[in-house]
Amino acid sequence: MNPIWPILGGFLNVAAVLLIAPFCEGVLRKVTAIIQSRKGPPIWQPYFDLLKLLGKEDIESGESPLMQRFAVYLSLATVLTLACLIPMGFPAPMNGAGDALLLIYLLTLVGVCTLLAGLAAGSTYSLLGTSREMMAMIALEPLFAVAIVIGAVKTGSFRLDTVLNGSVYGAGLPLSGLIMLAVMILSFQAFVQRVPFDIAEAETEIMEGALMEYSGPKLALFKYAQMAKLVIYSGLFVTLFVPWGNGLVFPLGWLVFWAKVLVLVLLVTLVAATHARYRIDQAIRYFAGLLAVAVGALVLASYGL
Amino acid sequence: MIAREKLNELRAKFGPAIQRADLPSDGRLFVFIEPSVVKDVCAHIFRDLDARYVISIGADDRPSSGKFMVAHNFAFDREHLLASVLTYLPAENPKLDSISDVVPAANWAEREIRDLVGIEPVGHRYLKRLVLPDGWPDGLHPLRKDFAWNQVPEGFDEDREFKFDEPPEGCTVVPFGPFHPTLDEPAHFRLYVEGEMVRGCEYRGFMVHRGIEKLAELVLTYNEIPLMAERICGICGCVHNVTYAQAVENAIALRPPPRAEYIRTIMLEIERLHSHLLWVGLACHIVGFDTLFMQSFRIREPVMWIAEKITGNRKTYALCVIGGVRWDIAPEMKAELRAVLDKLEAEWTPVVAAVLKDKNIQKRTRDVGVADRRLVKEMGLIGPVARAAGADMDCRRDHPYAAYDRVEFDVITADGADVWSRVVVRAKEVFESIKIIRQCLEKMEPGPLQAEIRDELPVGRLGMSSVEAPRGESHHFVITGENNRPRRWRVRAPTYQNLQGVPAMIKDQQLADMTISLGSIDPCFSCTDRLETIDLRTKAVKVWSQEELRILTRRAKT
Repeated sequence: MNPIWPILGGFLNVAAVLLIAPFCEGVLRKVTAIIQSRKGPPIWQPYFDLLKLLGKEDIESGESPLMQRFAVYLSLATVLTLACLIPMGFPAPMNGAGDALLLIYLLTLVGVCTLLAGLAAGSTYSLLGTSREMMAMIALEPLFAVAIVIGAVKTGSFRLDTVLNGSVYGAGLPLSGLIMLAVMILSFQAFVQRVPFDIAEAETEIMEGALMEYSGPKLALFKYAQMAKLVIYSGLFVTLFVPWGNGLVFPLGWLVFWAKVLVLVLLVTLVAATHARYRIDQAIRYFAGLLAVAVGALVLASYGL
Repeated sequence: MIAREKLNELRAKFGPAIQRADLPSDGRLFVFIEPSVVKDVCAHIFRDLDARYVISIGADDRPSSGKFMVAHNFAFDREHLLASVLTYLPAENPKLDSISDVVPAANWAEREIRDLVGIEPVGHRYLKRLVLPDGWPDGLHPLRKDFAWNQVPEGFDEDREFKFDEPPEGCTVVPFGPFHPTLDEPAHFRLYVEGEMVRGCEYRGFMVHRGIEKLAELVLTYNEIPLMAERICGICGCVHNVTYAQAVENAIALRPPPRAEYIRTIMLEIERLHSHLLWVGLACHIVGFDTLFMQSFRIREPVMWIAEKITGNRKTYALCVIGGVRWDIAPEMKAELRAVLDKLEAEWTPVVAAVLKDKNIQKRTRDVGVADRRLVKEMGLIGPVARAAGADMDCRRDHPYAAYDRVEFDVITADGADVWSRVVVRAKEVFESIKIIRQCLEKMEPGPLQAEIRDELPVGRLGMSSVEAPRGESHHFVITGENNRPRRWRVRAPTYQNLQGVPAMIKDQQLADMTISLGSIDPCFSCTDRLETIDLRTKAVKVWSQEELRILTRRAKT
């Protein structure tokens, strides 16, 4: 294969994520506003917000400014690397660059960046945010791993393109795939860190937790990474669980993919607008229950169910 | 004559130690006693007679009697009686046995008397400063009469940092405040945290104490004080305005005309409506449920508009003068108010129904911030916090004032003693307020708005008034004085007592529950701080330092 294609496709995916992520955030805000009987900001506001923050003074603060900067760059870089590994309306561009395990590592790395950010700030509140984030990660990250491993079990391969194509279902609609779908829907809100699972940055409790020392361009990049994260996770969810129609010819499949992502964003908005935040211990208990079910599904999958 | 009965009971038990007594009306009792028996009398009233502790007042009475005075106020809620136990102390080195052993709720009040009036509570277990900052020189007490209202003492080290207690072993300190997104006003909780569990805390507040009582004693006049009183609080200002006016009226035995009483009742209930709607919104915001926060603010807004139409202001209604009110409610305003109430009721009903069914909110609020009946009694907790613990008390019914004896309403109680019960109580009280306003509009007769006062107000009379604010009982104590102003005016806002219950409410629960527990008492501190100015022509930004602001405010005052 011509080596230009993976690079071009990678660029296309990264560009799409960067361009569409603020739009999704804008939709999220607008719909939230409508639910709350408000007019809400213009749908393009997140773009302006990012531009505004990027243009502000770059202040060094916190315990370790260098690590703080590093955490932001790493966070956005990881999210954008993920973008290259996920098929978005056409086969994943960097298909050969890694396997499903790399995907799992990268997903975890995104969370690790938040931990680094919290440690870099070094204040009591950011450390509280860090400890909450860590607890949530330990309980939560295995869920996506289990989903991907179920795919690998079904297809007998860790290759990205085989795992990431609705592989949890294998052929037909097995029980384990459906269970996993339910688990993922129930935990999706936590992966994208929205209410009721925005525990690690709860503004009214611990004042944005890990992010509290961030401002200006660094905050812009972190926010950008979070917006992109919403899109990436939605994309992963779509490829893993609702792959139908993604395989259509280029512009059509691409459109179908992004339409599905948008629907997922709307779902996230709806849940976020109608719930109160859980406490960390309540959330962990909830995740633990889901994880038990997920492991059960993995067992079923290994027996071919 | 319930006041007479209580007095006879005290006389029978303490005999000659009861020096004299005043029974100005059936709902009030002032007993003057020997200083030596104060602790026993208070213990008897608080424990054996099961009265509720209200507040303690210290006063410098040297210009008139040559002595200091201390009053401990109690409320007999079931018997509709407010009682005050007073004692005089010598001018030299005044001290009095502390009652905080037997009445724990008196902890703050005694420390405040020690700070501001300089009366030493003998035997108090925690004699840390409460109101005065640590840098204030010893032996200077701002509420003494020989202390000028604008005096800044020599040697006042304003930048001295607070000296905090040592945290318990194994706990880290999480500073909560003075500035925090969920605190609308500065207050500092030093939380001792073990993991995510709060094991205890130290409170430092009074950072923006404005010395309003001192101003009232030396600068303002009787009818100017209500305007200052309503600026004590940005949410329940009208309560302080009315309570003060009623306390003075109580002292001079003056009754405002009926129409004024109805208008006071209506405005107080309008204030309760907007305050409760605000609180439900804020509580939802604290637990991250912003949709209900936005909705309750939308529903609340017309209440603010109608208040503005009646009084000219969304807040700070400037309602009362001694003996009456300033504003009338015109017939067309009545119709408009009724329409606002109808709309409010129609919109609030589904919200309450939805909230009461919501498992998600209950998960965050049930068994959180528990203040049980025992704590309510010991710390003198009041208002929705007490009612949510099943303590059936409400000054509107127990110590009727304004027109509350002529309207029918239910006192809402719950028995969970937790944040959830407080949500339920407040949500339902909105309907009772609507009911009360409707009855007032119905029963209000045309008539004068103010009672005529021909002579100077008599001097040296005592008066007290309790008003059920949205947060609980607001209590004012007044001694009338010369120069058209009171000799002493003591304000006890509901948060003063409720805040003392917070350390027990947040102990041994998760840090995440701290904000909603504190929020559930609907705390009301009070604010003003530094500012930043921008020169529009040169775009130069100047941040004012604490020192510069200090000079600026002092210059403006003198």
